[in-house]
Amino acid sequence: MTGWLWLALIAVVLWGVVGLLQKVTTNHISADAVLIWDRIGYVVVLPFLLIGFRLSQLGTRDIVIGTLDGVANSLGALCLYKSLQSGAQASIAVPLTALYPLITVVLAVAFLGERLDRLHWFGVILALVASVLMSIESPHQSQAQAEA
Amino acid sequence: MSTNLLPKWLLYAILALLWWGVFGFLGKVGSDRISPSQMQFFFTIGMLPVAFACACRLKFKIASNKRGVSYSLLMGILAALGSLAFFAALKIGRASLIAPATSLYPALTVALAVLFLRERLNKVQILGLFAALASIVILSQ
Repeated sequence: MTGWLWLALIAVVLWGVVGLLQKVTTNHISADAVLIWDRIGYVVVLPFLLIGFRLSQLGTRDIVIGTLDGVANSLGALCLYKSLQSGAQASIAVPLTALYPLITVVLAVAFLGERLDRLHWFGVILALVASVLMSIESPHQSQAQAEA
Repeated sequence: MSTNLLPKWLLYAILALLWWGVFGFLGKVGSDRISPSQMQFFFTIGMLPVAFACACRLKFKIASNKRGVSYSLLMGILAALGSLAFFAALKIGRASLIAPATSLYPALTVALAVLFLRERLNKVQILGLFAALASIVILSQ
């Protein structure tokens, strides 16, 4: 089994729980407020990350790339939110945005020289199909969320 | 781009998908060079301007409901630890496998929603769940 798999599964578990909390949280406060408070949650973790490294050890390029990665992630969240605000049906917009790994795959193949064999391409496509299918909610589920 | 060709919501949805795609890509580029915790540090810094813009728009009236606030804070802490694991994975593996694999987290969300929110899955979601399990096995080969 590949080494990265365990780390990826940890991310899946943590993000999966975040997804559940998100369903419940928006019943209590607005999506705007969630976006702000959850970023404060990220900041809570910051001091622990500083243990064992000095900023002077890093190059400007490293700092810029890391920071831009955070900008890109936040802009993604903001755009989805804007989309839903501009009259998107969640049942269409959310499955559509679930296709984002495709962009990462294309960029990694084009610019980082990553190569996938046929089996892995099949896995990538199956994962994309899975993400889209799982994010399609029937109306009664949205109802249940509103009552939770 | 003309809004006649593309409704506004669709344009935003496509932008969201592009930005998140770039997030996965830059995550790999950065993780190749620096440690996961360094990456997570700057990643967090990069998130703040957008959160600040939202706070301005709400005129900083953001503390509302105790339960909502504590859930959101917990969400942020768990999501941060999740991206730390994501960057650690990217350091040793290919972005083209890790981005699709980690994007399967809704599998856990729907499973937990069945357990805790007593949601019922529709047939499409059950099919998606099986596809997710199969794809993670294939991607890890």
